[in-house]
Amino acid sequence: MRAAPTMAPDDLGRRVLAHLRPGRDGWLTTSLTIVLVAVALGVSALLLTLTGASPSASLSAIWTGSLANTTGWTTTLLNAAPLLLVAVGAAICASAGTFNIGQEGQVLIGGLFGAWVGLRLALPGPMLVVVVMAAAAVGGGLWAALSALMYRFRGVNVVVSTLLMTFLAIQLVTFAVSTPWLQESAQGSSGIADAQSNPLPADALLGGLGQYPSMQLNAGLFLALVAAVGVALVLSRSRWGFRVRMVGLNPLTAKHTGVRVAALGGFTLALSGAFAGLAGGLLLASPVSPNRLQAGLSDNVGWDGLLVALVARNRPLIAIPVSFGFAVLRAGGDFLSATGVPYYLVDIVKALLVLAFVAPPLLVGLLRGRRGATPPTPFPLPAVPTKMKAAV
Amino acid sequence: MTPTTSAVPILELRGITKSYGSVTACDAVDLRVEAGEIHGLLGENGAGKSSLMKVLLGLVRRDTGTVLVRGEEVALDSPQEAAELGIGMVHQHFSLINGLTVWENVALGDTGKVNKQAVCDGIAEVSARYGLPVDPEARVDALSAGERQRVEVVKCLRRDPQILILDEPTSVLTQAESQELFAVLDRVVANEGRAVILISHKLAEIAQATDRVTVLRKGRVAFRAVTSDTTPQLLARQMVGREVSLGEEGAALGLLPVQQTRAGHDGAHDRQQAVLRLAGLTVVQGGVEVLGSVDLTVGAGEIVGLYGVEGNGQSILGDVLAGLVAPTEGTIEVAGNRVDVTRPGALSKAGLGIVPEDRHHSGVVLDMSVAENLTMKSLDEVSGRFLLRRRATLARARRLADEFNIVTPSLDAPVRSLSGGNQQRVVLARELSGDTRVLVAAQPTHGLDVGAIEDMYARLRRAADEGVGVLLISTELEEVMALASWIAVISSGRISGALPVSEATPERLGMLVGGEAA
Amino acid sequence: MSVLDNTTTILASGVRLTVPLAFAACGEYLAQRAGAMNISVEAMMLGAAFTSIATASATGSATTGLAVGVVTGLVIGFVHGNLSHRAQINTFVVGLVLNALVLGLTSYLITTQQFASHQVGVLSIPLLKDIPLIGQALFSGRWPAYLLILLVPLTWWLVDRSRWGLELRAVGENPQAADVTGIKVGVRRRQALLWCGALAGLGGAYLAVGEVGSFNQNMTAGRGYIVIAAVIFGAWRLGRTLLGCLVFGLSDAMRLALPALGVTLNAQLLVAAPYLLALLAMLLFATQHREPAALGRPFQRGST
Repeated sequence: MRAAPTMAPDDLGRRVLAHLRPGRDGWLTTSLTIVLVAVALGVSALLLTLTGASPSASLSAIWTGSLANTTGWTTTLLNAAPLLLVAVGAAICASAGTFNIGQEGQVLIGGLFGAWVGLRLALPGPMLVVVVMAAAAVGGGLWAALSALMYRFRGVNVVVSTLLMTFLAIQLVTFAVSTPWLQESAQGSSGIADAQSNPLPADALLGGLGQYPSMQLNAGLFLALVAAVGVALVLSRSRWGFRVRMVGLNPLTAKHTGVRVAALGGFTLALSGAFAGLAGGLLLASPVSPNRLQAGLSDNVGWDGLLVALVARNRPLIAIPVSFGFAVLRAGGDFLSATGVPYYLVDIVKALLVLAFVAPPLLVGLLRGRRGATPPTPFPLPAVPTKMKAAV
Repeated sequence: MTPTTSAVPILELRGITKSYGSVTACDAVDLRVEAGEIHGLLGENGAGKSSLMKVLLGLVRRDTGTVLVRGEEVALDSPQEAAELGIGMVHQHFSLINGLTVWENVALGDTGKVNKQAVCDGIAEVSARYGLPVDPEARVDALSAGERQRVEVVKCLRRDPQILILDEPTSVLTQAESQELFAVLDRVVANEGRAVILISHKLAEIAQATDRVTVLRKGRVAFRAVTSDTTPQLLARQMVGREVSLGEEGAALGLLPVQQTRAGHDGAHDRQQAVLRLAGLTVVQGGVEVLGSVDLTVGAGEIVGLYGVEGNGQSILGDVLAGLVAPTEGTIEVAGNRVDVTRPGALSKAGLGIVPEDRHHSGVVLDMSVAENLTMKSLDEVSGRFLLRRRATLARARRLADEFNIVTPSLDAPVRSLSGGNQQRVVLARELSGDTRVLVAAQPTHGLDVGAIEDMYARLRRAADEGVGVLLISTELEEVMALASWIAVISSGRISGALPVSEATPERLGMLVGGEAA
Repeated sequence: MSVLDNTTTILASGVRLTVPLAFAACGEYLAQRAGAMNISVEAMMLGAAFTSIATASATGSATTGLAVGVVTGLVIGFVHGNLSHRAQINTFVVGLVLNALVLGLTSYLITTQQFASHQVGVLSIPLLKDIPLIGQALFSGRWPAYLLILLVPLTWWLVDRSRWGLELRAVGENPQAADVTGIKVGVRRRQALLWCGALAGLGGAYLAVGEVGSFNQNMTAGRGYIVIAAVIFGAWRLGRTLLGCLVFGLSDAMRLALPALGVTLNAQLLVAAPYLLALLAMLLFATQHREPAALGRPFQRGST
């Protein structure tokens, strides 16, 4: 629901124990989750059987593609990094009470900025890749900042504007790759503009880890992990994080105590876009991608990262294993499609699993009658906080 | 008007019990209401009045007990059924919907086809009969609080209810408007033989307007009597369950304090040493002036009361002083220094503390811990440049919690888990901590029980004795009369007058509330 | 081809592209007036497009396909309603998940199954269809398109004149007050989503068995989001919402037609037009508070 409250190490043990000994509702939620996950997997297996495929073969294909060997799990880790970055970003602005659902577009704009800088700037080796990543973060951040500004000055609902901006981003990137800025030979041999940019120079790419060519890990994964741990710490332990949480939980009290609510809320939205943009930079410079900007670059990483954040209830540390789980499905899905079962199966499984994780606490509340109790709010809801509207 | 006790009452509740989880809101409550009477329902906050009425309106299902209407047992499972039985309610917090017109609001809750003409005719008929003019085509958001109240009453009466429930109806009305309302109610019962249930926490009102009275205490019926046989003092004792003094405690219950002769509170002293000075404070919202050129001065160590009926600009003044709304014009000085109100937290830094009108709204962060709530205004003292210091936070919170007797399972417990009185103490403790020169208390006793109200009074007094200037914004006449040394009256967003408490009488204040010079 | 012919063609194609949007927009408009922000309208359209073709292929009847499409929309509306207005899961989360689920499911099934092509018949109105310029566009469509003549006034009447609609609007403006008045907020919102599901289903099915005659992967391609954009562009007024659908349908038709005419206009701009216009409309109208006050906000009794 929110980042862990500040705690001393001696409390930590107690709190962890408290989590391990859930109350009646906790047990119910956990068992309901397990049941729903089983149902989700069962439904997927049934679907496979009905369409003439073998569930066990598919499971084994996903396993082979994602975890069974070095190639598999490096692919998984490569997939996990951008997902985790997107999810961490989503967690930041969710802590401040803003629901950003435009990560897919922010990823793309990140890629656009990264590609533009990578193709235009002639910087020496390692510097270029750093600048490309920074540009990607700036791009995603600016794109999200537009939504923040629209909310700030015209009260435009953030959920709706980030959603609509995603579709604008797709068109913007489609348009941009055909312009001379990103593509010197704008006309291919066929005379039709290519739908992708020129490849980035080698200096702009994230290399593998030295002499192990099969280990295609790169700095991206470490960047994402550091971001997750860092954001978790900042949100729970720092003054800034304290203010962010205050804004998320009660913007008026926050304002009263001297927090620049509108500015901080807008900044977290931009920051969340920046993390998504950085994920776009990673995708662009990844050793396994074509290293060209195209509208398909984001490949649902933005949507999936958002789902990771939802399942992790906007807690950055929990997002680490969840993003890994999603990455297993993505990597396995690619392998699966090679065996003749459409990749889309993985999308179905993902959606069902998200429901299985998101629904139980609320269903338990429903079973309990909930009346008189505090309503469970697993996600910060006020896209436009009522109270703010009245007060601003 | 003397109620006749007929054999079959129009409404009878027998043994109504309603629990929410482990809390029993109503415990075997019996209530008997006759046709042609105004029946007072009196009780502290949390005594079970609203739960009982929700049962009666079919909004919640009772656990046990029977309801008889005109001697017949009824199920009362839905608001529709209640409406068909002729039970109607005028809600305390309006049930009107802003985006709709008056006639649409009136039509809500009916059944069958929507017939605009019939609805408007009905409105016109009721308006004429009771002298309650309303414009059916007006949008509700364009109406004043008093007009909305009128629409509520018309909406309710148009259904021709046999049993009319009014929940704290006078909180938004001036004394003149209240008198008009009671005149309507008298006609409703005397000429038309309906029954009225009047819910109120104002003793004087119950004593004046009702025929019989039932007092609820902690979910049970504590007392019932013919009103003329009782005295406000007796009712007060039944409400609280013990003897009540006629001073402060009486004020907490809505009794005028007998006499307040506190030395040094004659209103004259220390006025020069102003800790809070508002000059020409004006707020315009959506083209409407909601606060008009307010001048107000609070001296060190004095309590100034700002009295007025709900919805006359007090809320917006509270929001301005909480730093939530920037005034369109005017200046605020705290301890002699002009404050730049556009800077967030500037008022608070300058030494102004505020207990806001709605603590859940802008006073506390319900899902943060008690310790976090107590320290959120003084992060400098409990953190380094970047990181919070857990030990310092807890130490400071512990000190404040002890000083203000905050009862909490732990300093790490969320404020949500505390009682209303303790939540209010958390706010008060935080706002008085540090170098507070002036404390604004906006409706500080709303929704508290008598014990918590007395505690709040004592703490406001102590703050004043320690040299803090206190601005008490209140809709309770008795409260300002008991506490303040100087009373200003706000009406339609303007200060309509100010006078020392020694010259203040309910009549004079009432005239000022109505916007007349006194 | 003359300019007149070209214009006639573009108008006709624009109207054809508008019809599925208009069906769904009637539904989404009503749902939003009840405060139910419903982004699963994309899922409703896409799911209905798929099931209508699958049914038509199995039964040989495009009309049956159309009916099953409506039912599919209803089912998705029912699921969304219960998840977000009974179990109180955030409506945007439910929408995202349902959209992902239906997209995955239909994409999976269309790659594993084969369906025969089916299409409902054209209903041309004699004489009227020969009116220059607009005759082809308005009086020579697939027969379900004419249902709009019925459904648009019906939607208007339901929202603005019926008791049900009055209660829906009350729920969309102030659910707490509506609850006190005895209106079942959750029930009304779920009913609104059913209406939305049925109409969005009709729109999606019309796209498949009406205009195209077959189903391809991600066939609706964001039309559900365009419908949401249309409702916003229309500032929560039915007439302007439908006008928005027409503008968006025409811009789509132009995008398709212009390259063949040798006109170079930026295709991406035309694709982006609905979203751009919706954002502009929000920027212009946002401060006038035209949207239902409780739009997208959950309601729970006891919370103020």
